[in-house]
Amino acid sequence: MPITYYKLPNGLRVILSPDSTAPTVVTAVYYRIGFRVEPKDRTGFAHLFEHMMFQGSQNLGKMEFIRLVQQNGGVLNGSTRFDFTNYFELLPSNKLETALWAEADRMKGLAITGENLKNQQDVVINEVKTAVLNQPYGGFPWLWMPQYANSNWYNSHNFYGELKDIEAATLADVQAFFKTYYAPNNAALAIVGDFDPGEATAMIAKYFAAIAPAELPPPPDLSEPRQKEEKTATRKDPLANRPALAFSYHMPPRNSPEYFAMGLLDQMLVQGDDSLLYRELVKKHGFTGEVSGAINELGNMFDYDGPMLWTAALFHDATVQPEQILSAVDTVIESLRAKPVDQSLVDRSITKMRSSLYDTLTQFGGFGRADLLACYALFDDAPSRIDSLESEFRKVTPQLVESTAREYLRRTNRTVLLIDPGTASPDDANGAPEEESK
Amino acid sequence: MSSEVFAGPRETPPQGPPPKPFHLPATTDFSLPNGMRVTIVPYGNVPKVAVRASVAAGAVDESARQVWLSKLNAALMKEGTRTRPAEQVAREAAEMGGQVEIDSGSDFTSVGGVVLSDFGPKFVALLADVLTAPLLPASELPRLQADLVRELSIDKSQPDLLARERFLKTLFPNHPYGRMFPSESELQGYTVADVQTFYRKNFDAARTHLYIAGSLEGDLRRAVEDAFGGWAEGSPGPDLPAHPAKARSLQFIDRPGAEQSNILIGLPVAEPSSPDYIKLDVMDSLLGGSFVSRITSNIREQKGYTYSPFSQIGTRRHLAYWLQSADVTTAVTGPALKEIFYEIDRLRKDPPSAEELKGIQNYLAGIFVLRNTISPDAIIGQLHFVDAQGLDRAYLSTYVEKVMDVKPADVQDMAETYLVPSKMTIVVVGDKAKIADQIAAYEAH
Repeated sequence: MPITYYKLPNGLRVILSPDSTAPTVVTAVYYRIGFRVEPKDRTGFAHLFEHMMFQGSQNLGKMEFIRLVQQNGGVLNGSTRFDFTNYFELLPSNKLETALWAEADRMKGLAITGENLKNQQDVVINEVKTAVLNQPYGGFPWLWMPQYANSNWYNSHNFYGELKDIEAATLADVQAFFKTYYAPNNAALAIVGDFDPGEATAMIAKYFAAIAPAELPPPPDLSEPRQKEEKTATRKDPLANRPALAFSYHMPPRNSPEYFAMGLLDQMLVQGDDSLLYRELVKKHGFTGEVSGAINELGNMFDYDGPMLWTAALFHDATVQPEQILSAVDTVIESLRAKPVDQSLVDRSITKMRSSLYDTLTQFGGFGRADLLACYALFDDAPSRIDSLESEFRKVTPQLVESTAREYLRRTNRTVLLIDPGTASPDDANGAPEEESK
Repeated sequence: MSSEVFAGPRETPPQGPPPKPFHLPATTDFSLPNGMRVTIVPYGNVPKVAVRASVAAGAVDESARQVWLSKLNAALMKEGTRTRPAEQVAREAAEMGGQVEIDSGSDFTSVGGVVLSDFGPKFVALLADVLTAPLLPASELPRLQADLVRELSIDKSQPDLLARERFLKTLFPNHPYGRMFPSESELQGYTVADVQTFYRKNFDAARTHLYIAGSLEGDLRRAVEDAFGGWAEGSPGPDLPAHPAKARSLQFIDRPGAEQSNILIGLPVAEPSSPDYIKLDVMDSLLGGSFVSRITSNIREQKGYTYSPFSQIGTRRHLAYWLQSADVTTAVTGPALKEIFYEIDRLRKDPPSAEELKGIQNYLAGIFVLRNTISPDAIIGQLHFVDAQGLDRAYLSTYVEKVMDVKPADVQDMAETYLVPSKMTIVVVGDKAKIADQIAAYEAH
């Protein structure tokens, strides 16, 4: 599919990728500010701020942005991730200009009140309760694992936010964060779907060109030191009633040959019921019914820019000890580190990866394609990388799989997270234990 | 206090040109001589194809002592066929870029997957083997039972699932729809003969509809005829009317120390074949089923009681129910209930403005296009809904027109006729010591 890439004089990166399969269009604005980089006394702030972007701008009062999209037949969302915060709309294709006007309006500035902020602090606190505090296994492993596996604060803090930090946020914090990070030279605009690139270019110039750039702070040092000892953490979960186990390894640097090999190792080890760990842990030993796993549990292996973990997780019974499970995991992992795998296994992983890549790109009416285009524009200044992904995976050889496993699937590069369940009787619905306040 | 002051009059959003015409993807429909129905939908240019067989067999076919037997059957169906060991099924599907997925639900078991288009005909043959000639081996049963016992235990630690179980049990007494969980000992008591009997009674061509959607390669019709032509005809399943409860009931599940209360409020409404159903859909979207809906605006965006309040119309075969859910901070459980009922009562008394309704109608018309284009599986989902409910396919082609015909008085009429508070089931899962006083007022009506 065609890709047009250019920058406005104010630094806004624009990626246009037309596809007329359906009369719909995705408009996605990505700001290069993720939850890794938020004020150290304001954990959870990047995410709280995302909510404020729906609370009012010059021409759109509270709820009006959402109403505008909805009454034009569209859906919208925003999300805060490791290295970006995104805002996107999926609309009937004749409403592209409406979406561009609205996104430009909030890129120009916010108009929010203390009351709006208080309201969204309450909403976000409820969000954290619904997702984490009031749920068994709430942050397992997506929220908790990075806190144990990483050692640099940027990668290891509670990015959903401590409730006291969320409560402490002020309007001045909101305004300062906006001024620092929400500028056109720190953003990318991706449009995917049924539109005319010439018309879109004119509309983008009309609505975005006059927005002033900002001076951006130097990027912080996100790097993680090379891990030298295996780490194990145990977390008591009084709401849970079965143990759970997850393990993570630090990933190779993004876009390196080893990174693409890890993409295939993920396919070999945990993706699908032909995978090696499924066969070992589910079918052979019956330790669990399912092994889940991912590179970047809050997205995919392409949409981040910094240290990352490959993580696998499972639930098991108290009659099985974590040592038994890890010993079975090691049998599989060590076999990959001992000698090159069969070419047929690499071939099958490439087929699975290619199939999964199509799913990623078509996810949610073209949003998945916009996500990768915006990330490659923001992180690499090269959205066309999207077209070379398949060939990068095809370059991976059995020898590279072995050498990658040797360096990155070392036990000393691993963190294990164990969930120790509460004492409630599993069948006693009324007997859930007292929850620790957090 | 505003955080930034903007001068000058507000701009009006640009409206854009008129919408492009939208045509539903065209389908090819046929039946095999054994009665199996087939629908093929060419769609899109991404080289993937979704193939799903929907078999009218599920929880509805379980007796009161067979809860989750359909789930156990689905799990055992993945354990190989008479000619292919399970590992071979998994490997062959992976070599096509997919896997065989088997899921059992209330009314249907779905057997299917999504693969690279080149392999469409081959995948049809693999699915046919899994669906028509499963081995159902006794050797794998204890492991799968242990997996389901673990799943049951974890499900029962989740407050939203506890609430749902109580809601369904109250709405559907003495019917399989009301039996969400088995006991652990029931689950462990099922034998391989129980599973094999369940499969034999409920899986055949007459109860199956195969859907294929996506970018199509090869002769798929021929592949379907070759792979499924020899399957036993069987007969359609029995109908088991559910007679859902329509009585006020407050159900409470104590969860000491809970940070939030999980609230469910609902009752039966007109089924999808009723002329009221699309009007109910519009009413639901305006009241609680969309982001700008009244209940969400009230308890989230004005009051901050909750993060994700949500209403929907749930369906089973030939019936539907309306259901509002919200996870609210413990201290505001009573106030949240008060606001939800306030919004229900307000819509029952007064019709919405034409402008508010128009916004909802445009929203439903827009997401109708999304639902019918966003992925091959979404397209299958739309067709399956219509077929499963015994509706004419014209339901889809006339949907937008019918949505646009709804009048403000119709919305009020739907709320007044169907959302009768004295017939609602209310379920609250939360910390009894802190909220008993707050919810006592909702006990009787």
